[in-house]
Amino acid sequence: MRDVCRLLKLAWPYRAWLVAALGLSLVTLLANVGLLALSGWFIAAMALAGISGIPINYHYPAAGIRALAILRTLGRYAERVVSHQASLRLLAGLRVWIFRRVEPLAPARLEGYASGDLLSRIRADIDCLDTFYLRLLAPVLTALFACLLFILFLWHFSFAVALATALLLLLAGGFLPLAVHLLGRKPGARVTRTSSELRTAVVDGLRGMEELLAYDAAGRQKERVEELNRRLLADQARLAGLAGISAGGVGLCSGLALWLSLVISIPLVRAGSMSGPQMVMLGLFCQAAFEAVLPLPPAFLLLGQTLAAARRIFSLVDEPPAVSEPQKPSPLPANAAISLRGVGFSYGDGVATLEGIDLELSPGRKVAVVGVSGAGKSTLLALLLRFREYDSGSIILAGREIREYDGEDVRRLLAVAGQQPFLFNATLRENLLIARPGAVEEEMVAAARMAGIHDEIAALAQGYDTPAGEGGVKLSGGQVRRLAIARAILKNAPILILDEATSSLDTESERIVQAALEKLMQGRTTICIAHRLSTVQRADLIVVLDKGRIVETGTHAELLRSGRVYTKLYELQFEQPAA
Amino acid sequence: MSTKAPEIPSPEQRLNLLKNRVKPTLALAVGLGIAGGFVLIAQALIVAGLVHRVMVNGAGYREVLPQLLRLPPLMLVRAALSWASERVAFAASALIRQEVRNDLFQRLLDAGPLRLKGDRAGEVATVIVDGVEALEGYYSRYLPHLAVMAMVPLSILAAVVPADWISAGIMLFTAPFIPFFTILIGRGAERLNQRQWQSLARLGGYFLDRVNGLATLRMFNASRREAGMIARISDDYRLATMSVLYVAFLSALVLEFFATVSVALMAVIIGFRLLKGGMAFQDGFTVLLLAPEFYLPLRLMGNYYHARMEAIGAAERIFSMLDTPVAPRPLAPCPLPAITPLRICFEDVSFRYTPDSAPAIDGVTLSLTSGERVALVGPSGAGKSTLAALLLCFALPEQGRVMVNGVDLAQCDPDQWRRLVAWVPQRPHIFHGTMRDNIRLGRRDAADPDILRAAGLARCEEFIARLPQGLDTVIGEQGAGLSGGQARRIALARVFLKDSPLIITDEPTAGLDARSEAMVRESLNELARGRAVLSIAHRLATLEDADRVVVMNEGRIVEQGGYEELKGAGGLFARMAAAGEGP
Repeated sequence: MRDVCRLLKLAWPYRAWLVAALGLSLVTLLANVGLLALSGWFIAAMALAGISGIPINYHYPAAGIRALAILRTLGRYAERVVSHQASLRLLAGLRVWIFRRVEPLAPARLEGYASGDLLSRIRADIDCLDTFYLRLLAPVLTALFACLLFILFLWHFSFAVALATALLLLLAGGFLPLAVHLLGRKPGARVTRTSSELRTAVVDGLRGMEELLAYDAAGRQKERVEELNRRLLADQARLAGLAGISAGGVGLCSGLALWLSLVISIPLVRAGSMSGPQMVMLGLFCQAAFEAVLPLPPAFLLLGQTLAAARRIFSLVDEPPAVSEPQKPSPLPANAAISLRGVGFSYGDGVATLEGIDLELSPGRKVAVVGVSGAGKSTLLALLLRFREYDSGSIILAGREIREYDGEDVRRLLAVAGQQPFLFNATLRENLLIARPGAVEEEMVAAARMAGIHDEIAALAQGYDTPAGEGGVKLSGGQVRRLAIARAILKNAPILILDEATSSLDTESERIVQAALEKLMQGRTTICIAHRLSTVQRADLIVVLDKGRIVETGTHAELLRSGRVYTKLYELQFEQPAA
Repeated sequence: MSTKAPEIPSPEQRLNLLKNRVKPTLALAVGLGIAGGFVLIAQALIVAGLVHRVMVNGAGYREVLPQLLRLPPLMLVRAALSWASERVAFAASALIRQEVRNDLFQRLLDAGPLRLKGDRAGEVATVIVDGVEALEGYYSRYLPHLAVMAMVPLSILAAVVPADWISAGIMLFTAPFIPFFTILIGRGAERLNQRQWQSLARLGGYFLDRVNGLATLRMFNASRREAGMIARISDDYRLATMSVLYVAFLSALVLEFFATVSVALMAVIIGFRLLKGGMAFQDGFTVLLLAPEFYLPLRLMGNYYHARMEAIGAAERIFSMLDTPVAPRPLAPCPLPAITPLRICFEDVSFRYTPDSAPAIDGVTLSLTSGERVALVGPSGAGKSTLAALLLCFALPEQGRVMVNGVDLAQCDPDQWRRLVAWVPQRPHIFHGTMRDNIRLGRRDAADPDILRAAGLARCEEFIARLPQGLDTVIGEQGAGLSGGQARRIALARVFLKDSPLIITDEPTAGLDARSEAMVRESLNELARGRAVLSIAHRLATLEDADRVVVMNEGRIVEQGGYEELKGAGGLFARMAAAGEGP
């Protein structure tokens, strides 16, 4: 119920649209029921008048029939237009709302959601929420209002008919949807789960095809896909059966309403307390009234799914960000000197990922952080970028604790060329300009040239307008890294962070990238994170991290002389005794 | 299906061909639907007769009781028929979807890994899962409804003609307008609609893409700006969609107009004829009861049209995937010769990925025997991975032969051959499942001690021990939660477990830190003893273990020899070494 309340609250800004859609669908429904009932009354009354010869005013009813027919037609059109407007506005609002709520969670809190499949679930969930308003909320409210009006109308003519119809409406619009919801919950949940398992099995089968073939396991994977497929369809068949029963059930109730109204009216007509045309009108009215509850059972079949989607979204947006921003942030610091004193951090698993880190990043200094994977290098970076909050010690930026500044202000000082740069589904130009949207063409080209990527971009048929990302041009690992470096250059921040900027590149790419970096590092504070040592030998200071602690500091020459961890790393990598 | 027909059938024609697989089931669904229509007519005739007798003849319960009692069973039968028809139609669509989905997956397996480079897997999975799902409405609703739509209004018309031929005339006159306008307006809307669906997909993709890249956006302080962009794009999308929908809904408006106004018109005309005594009330009432039902299937047509559109949209992608050419296989494979010791020979092998592309492998001759370690080096795109793919039978040479102990590999059963090969690709795939199952891919019946031994040799025992449930830990989708180095070590563990005479590795130690790399190389050295090893290297540092280094460039072998020998030879290798390692 709390989830339903939150969903309603989300729709509040769009209430005018939703109410308009509701009103129009109510008008359309009433016009249709009225049309059938009035037509029935009209031909019955005309027939009686024809037989008895008593004159009848046929102008109003005949005009009424035509008016209702046109009202229904136009009402339906208007209702469709307005409800789609409402839905699209809501959807846009929901997307922006979710994006704004998820934005502060990245990247620390989203790591559990790293795989694309989970993210596309978010998208499916948003669409699912949209059906809550259009296919659930609106029909339920329309049915509620309409049924109330229908029963009041019938009551005016016959209490018994009103009561019988009310009970049948309750059966078709209350009991049936509830039963369908309860019976459909389990197969519905299974359908969601199975189809996601099926997707995983298919992706596994395609991404891992080389291994499956090489290890003679393709047949087993195929069996698994077939089994999941069979299970998915079996549960869908259950749901389709429920939908069939509910549709047949509503039709049956509508027929029985007509029948009961006839059974009740026949003696009344014979006794003269009800006119024949009234009997015809009531019968047709009762039958048509069920159009109001027709969409309810299929809607309730979706209820479980919709609420599950809502819960997933709410639990995501409710996560607290890893870093809380200060209420009154200090102004952007003028200089970018950072010093770390006794900084410690733990992911909460009882293991200190970083412990007692002391480091001076004075302007212009080049500091390299090396160590095996898992030593805490990337965590250190996340702390500097304000993606994670340190647990102990202090990080001082321009004389103040770093958490007193707005995170965005801190990141203005840092340009990162990362380990796994992300390319958006946009042109290369747009991908570069993310670093500085206001940059002019010349600045962008200069940055690309400096990163050694300009010539390759210019050689593409569409140049900087070539689409990149998933659907775009395929770039090699080295090209992507160099694009990331061009971004960092374009950002032109006082502190440069190179996170494994050249690892896993082939020798040729590595050489080009390294040359670009050398140029870029001139005059900038640089933090270079690496587990390969070839790139760090020229640093002013090398810090060796091991299991979250700084175990050695010094220049390349000093560290080699000391003959400890760094020397061992060095020897392992170059397989030669350190001279 | 693999032969090229001169005329390519449209997706809808092919959807229709699929229908043949479930013809009897679909026919049953249609029969049940039409039977429902007959029951409906019977019901209307009874109600009209009954009401006539009560109202006009002053009859009471006693006179109309038989008719009154006949109604509830008829209503029950009608509900049962509608339920049964829906179930049967669903069964037909389920069968087709099941077969199409299985066929698609099998087809992609048959096509082999080279047709489908990993990045497209998500997209293809969407077609197999959601695309096939979109066929549902076509078989369970659109096709049965087409038949019902033809039959039920005709039956109603037949029932109306004896009651009132004027109304029958109105029905006959107005009915054709409905499909006519549906198609006329639908045609235009179809194109617009399709464009709209595409832009919807683009918008969804945009949103997802930005969420995926949130960390990057935040790094450049661009995330708040992007929220504004999402709002703006959504708004643009809404305006564009609505401008299409205003028109598209017009077709529905015309449908409604004809259906509703015709019923109203009939009611008014019948009323006046009743007033003048020109017809019996019973007949007039029968017509009024049946008229909305006459138009209902025609009106519903609009809804099912949507199901059709969706299916056709999906069908294009499904059929183009079903048409993927399969990798050739020998019809009657030769048995493999005895393989100890193994002697592999590439004899003047050439290969191209597509007929009009440059050769990826161009006249390569190369030999490899048990106990020998050959390293392939060269710039990216030189053909190293393609050579490995040919050796794994993922593709067959266009020219030349790959001989194994004197037998042409193209004549052998690829599955049988691959049982002798262990393979570590450049980006190993980790399957959703337990750690045990992932390693056991190497040998299905391996017991835990063997698995742990292999894990130890691949240097994974340490991080496996740290996992919450050890070997039973379920690894996330696409190896979520594992680093690249860990995934590679799991792939290595498979190799250690498989114990095969030929080992092919594509840069097995990339992404490992120096310590792990040294350990893994040591294990590989042990494993290599007595086996044939072909290893692809991107970095020269890993070459020293090789007996022979083969340097490739642009699909050809340009140099081969020992590491030191090549370094001094002054060729491509020497230049690469100089660029990479410094003095």
